[in-house]
This record gives sequence, C-alpha cells and structure tokens, in this order.
Amino acid sequence: MFCTNCGSPVPDTANFCTACGGAIQHAPTPAASEPPAPVQYSRPVQPTPRSPEPPTPFAAAPTTCPWCKAEISAAQLSCPRCGASVRAPQIRSESGWGELPGRKDMAKLQFGDSFCQIEGLYVPVADVNLAASDSIYFTHHVLLWKDPQLNITTMSLASGWKRMFAGLPLIMMQARGPGRIAFSRDAPGEMIALPLQPGQEVDVREHLFMLATGNVSYDWFSSNIWYTTKSGDDKETHYPVGMFMDRFSAPQTPGLLLLHASGNVFVRDLAPGQTILVKPTALIFKDPSVQMQLHFEHPRAGFSLGFSLGSSSWSNRYYWLRLWGPGRVAVQSVFDRMEGESRYLSNCSPATEQRW
Amino acid sequence: MPPTIPAAEPLERIPCQWCQSMNEKAALTCRACGAPLDIRNLVSESGWREAPRLRDMTEFQFSSSTCQVEGEIVPVAEIHLGANDSVFFEHHIMLWKDDNVPLSVLQLPGGLKRAFAGMPFIISVATGPGRIAFSRDATGELVVLPLHPGMEIDVREHAFVLGSHQIDYSFVRVKGLTNILFGGQGMFMDRFVTTNSPGLVLLHGYGNVFERKLKAGESIMVEPGAFLYKDSSVSMNVEFQQLSSGFFGGTNMSLARMTGPGRIGIQSMYVHHHTE
Repeated sequence: MFCTNCGSPVPDTANFCTACGGAIQHAPTPAASEPPAPVQYSRPVQPTPRSPEPPTPFAAAPTTCPWCKAEISAAQLSCPRCGASVRAPQIRSESGWGELPGRKDMAKLQFGDSFCQIEGLYVPVADVNLAASDSIYFTHHVLLWKDPQLNITTMSLASGWKRMFAGLPLIMMQARGPGRIAFSRDAPGEMIALPLQPGQEVDVREHLFMLATGNVSYDWFSSNIWYTTKSGDDKETHYPVGMFMDRFSAPQTPGLLLLHASGNVFVRDLAPGQTILVKPTALIFKDPSVQMQLHFEHPRAGFSLGFSLGSSSWSNRYYWLRLWGPGRVAVQSVFDRMEGESRYLSNCSPATEQRW
Repeated sequence: MPPTIPAAEPLERIPCQWCQSMNEKAALTCRACGAPLDIRNLVSESGWREAPRLRDMTEFQFSSSTCQVEGEIVPVAEIHLGANDSVFFEHHIMLWKDDNVPLSVLQLPGGLKRAFAGMPFIISVATGPGRIAFSRDATGELVVLPLHPGMEIDVREHAFVLGSHQIDYSFVRVKGLTNILFGGQGMFMDRFVTTNSPGLVLLHGYGNVFERKLKAGESIMVEPGAFLYKDSSVSMNVEFQQLSSGFFGGTNMSLARMTGPGRIGIQSMYVHHHTE
C-alpha cells in the first residue's frame, strides 16, 4: 500500500510512513455511515477535557473540523476553510493545551472565490490565488513574491493603523485579484488560519498579523497592560503585550485571518472564571471574552522584603499575564525577552500579586 | 556463454527530478544530490516546487568525496573528502573537522573589498583526504545543486555552504537589492561556474526553499530578501513599486523582477547578513 500523505510505498502493517512520518490510514475510504478507525498514536491523547464538545473527537471528525468547527463533508481529508487535517488526531497535553491541528504540506483552503495554499514546514508560506472579486490586506514586510500584473496599493490611513514596526511606520497594503501573491515571516513557526464567522471577533497581539481578507474589519484597543521602571531619573513605560491589541471581526460575511507565530502554538479553552498565568510576550490571540491583567509573583527569599511595589527597590519578581475565562487563548513557545524586568518598578496597570 | 540480458530491465534508470542525474531503479535517494526518489514532488498550484526534504543521514557523492546530511532543523553537511578533492567555503560556517585536513585560502580575483560581520571576507579551502563539517546559524534547508559542465548559477551572498574544487567562484555587487528595512545598500551575489567537469554547490536556505522554472520571458516579482539562487540566464531587475497613495514618504518598496528562462530559488525566511 501507499502513504496517503506523500505517496511512498509502505508495508501493509505499518502505522507510520517511513518516508514522511505521517500516520497511515488503513481503512481506504470509510463509508459515510461508519466513523474512521481511531489512529494509533504514541502520545497520550486526552478526550478534550475542558471542552463542551462530545468527548469523542475522532467520531465527530468527518463532519466537523476540529480546529474551526466548520461543517464539512465526510469525504474531505482537510478542512477547506482552515486547511487542518480532519482525521489527524488532536494532540492535547494532560494540562489541557492543544497543539494546532496537523496540516499537510501544500494544504489548500478557500475564502470567497480565492484559494490559499500553505507551503513548507519550518517557515510556512501562504500562497494566495486571488480571484477578481476578492482582496486581502497585509503588512508590507511579509510579502514574499507576486505575479507582475497583480496590483498592490497602500491602504488608506482611515483604516486606523497607527503602528510602528522596527522604527518604521507599519504600512498596511492591499492586493486585489486576479493574480497570485505569497507571504511569509522571518521566524520558524506555525501559520494559524482563523476563519471568522459573521459576528465573531478575535483579539491579536501586535506584529503577529499576516493577512486578512478584505471583508474582515480591523479595530484596535488599548491593552492597558503596562508597567513603569525607574533607573536614576530615567522612567520608562513598558507594554509587554503591546500598547494596543488588534481586534479583527467579520461583520457581515465570513472572513479569514492568517497569523504567524514563532515556535509552536498551543491553544486552550478557559471555562468561565478559570484563570491561567502566561508569559506576557507569549500571548498570540484570545477571544474578546477573555480578560487580562498583570500579575507579580515574589519568590520566597531569605531576607526581608519591601512592603509595597512603590517603595521596594527589590527587583527579583516574576511578571505574568493573568487570563480569565471564558474563552479561547493561544500562546507561542518562542517569545521576546521582556523589557525592564530586573529594574526598579515604579508604577503599573492594575495587577494582582503573590508573595511566597 | 555470456549471460543474456533481459530486455530493458537492467538498463532501466530513473532520473532524479531535482538534479536530472540518472539513478539505478532500486535507488531510494539520488546519488548526486540526495533527493528522495520514492516520494512525490511537492509542487504548489502556482508552480513552486519545494526543495527535496533530505532524509536525515542521507549520503551522496561528488567526484571522489561523499557528503552526508545530518539533522533536519539546522542541517549539518559532513564532507568526507577523497584524496586530492577540495571544497571551498566561508570560514565562519565550519562546525568541526579532522586534525589532519589542511586549510588554505582561496585567492580571489580583483581587489574588491568585502567584509562580513566586521571580519574580512575570506574564502577558505579544505583539501582531502579527511572529514570536515559545516552548518549555518538558523533553521533552514540544505539545497544541493550538482552543476553539469558549462553551467552558471548566481547565489545570494553568504548563502552558499560550499563549492567543490571544479567550480570557478567569483562575485558581483548588485545595487538596490535589499529590503527597505535594511536600507538599500545593495548586496553581493556569488557566481559559480563549471567549465569542463561537473561540480557541486551546497546552499543553506533559511526557512523553507522553493524553486520554480521560468519560461523564456516569464517573470515573477520577488521580495529581495527571499531571493536565494538563479540560473545566470534568469535576469534580475530591481523595480520600485508604484504605490497609489503618497504617504510612503522617503521610503520605497523594491521588488526584484526575475525574468526567465531558467530556475529561480527562494527562501521563506529572511535573514540579512549585511555586507559593508
């Protein structure tokens, strides 16, 4: 028999392909009525502990995309809206963080009348075939290549992008079909496809945005996560999740948002009231229903400490971002260093504190 | 009585779809470039082909030497040099070597000044017999380009890992070919030419590497930071994008127009090694 992923010949008894490592589907084409056999997988697979979904993700796979929950026909191997491999097992840690669904190299997804292929595994490329009726917008530094005849323009300032990237204004650009254009970023990581249903909103940390379809509307809000450090007479204010967060929504028609995160991506659903502490610079996106706040943690030490943040010159403390459910949150495993972490802290946005 | 040769069978050879070398029918990897022969090519609908994903520990040959590719995230090229074989490379990418492999410096034509990260730009040569290994500084793929006699390719500066001794090496300066984030200082392009004998060029592309064959007159606009290599028959012209609204101010967005015929290779991650 042959590997369904890469086409290499494999022994009939193999569970994995020796060429590409993909799991081998033993049942050739299961009838629509019978669910596909659960794939043998070496890691412990938890049946979605904190999800309201039915506890058998494999049985639900043929009709619902495990990532974007789109309804898809049982015959499809990958979700046409987000490119996720439908029958790949969901990988979820025992703590409840799930990895992005497997994606076949060259997976293809559709938006409007246009298509996007995601190519490569280390630094994936989004290769968009834009139909005449469609447009996308993107930041100027993610462009990889384009057809000569495809027209790109800068977006008007009325759209409200007032950002800086590496000291330069962040320039938002627009591409209109027909034609092909491709994008990638500068770090090994994963491409996240977030199809947005009408009315759905998502908050994204700055500089992770790659592209959005023209019908996705963009807004920003103050993150209100900041702290001020003092060194002599120098005061500096730091914004570990950015001064602003981007909020994307699809007001009327379904849209698509592509993000690029560094390293690996982990997602979880927080129950109402459930909280978790994450590295502030690791946050990728969250549902608007998820609240955030700074949290300081002081490890136990063998000497006496100052009593309030304002008067303590002691800088040995850990900075966290507290996230409150309900809603979905995502983090990346490669993150920027936090600025001013070891300096004297003079002021900060509302924060909780723990002294051990 | 001489053994009878069954018709067609033992003579059957399969061409490698990456480097066109002929291989025995039973071979799993190409002996000249290490590309897997038993799996399908990954080609996007737009026509870009992913560089072959070399299996860990793949081995291939050039002249009387072998190269083994080790690791997958930042792959190492380990060369077992035959006697009288030599390879040339940039000195800062050496990972390890045998004690007894002699190193020398390649005499570069012309007195062009070139420096890399504050160091003088020196091409070193290692001569066999013995082993020497190389790797670069970030996630990416090794691109194996066996050159047939009479071939000429142009490579982004600081992207080549090594060239075999049959190859003539030179470089040219290209103006305007840098991303706006790095100021349009221009960059060098390395040129590799074979005359009578075949040679091997190894490149390291950051991120993933894709190749496309452009027909005569066909062109594609490529972000300059993504350019990795091209056949010398492909022309490259830097064009400033005409952008409708005027708020770009003093900055320009430049794209490289690559026009066929020939191959063009790109990398998906932009790491800029600036040359003064």
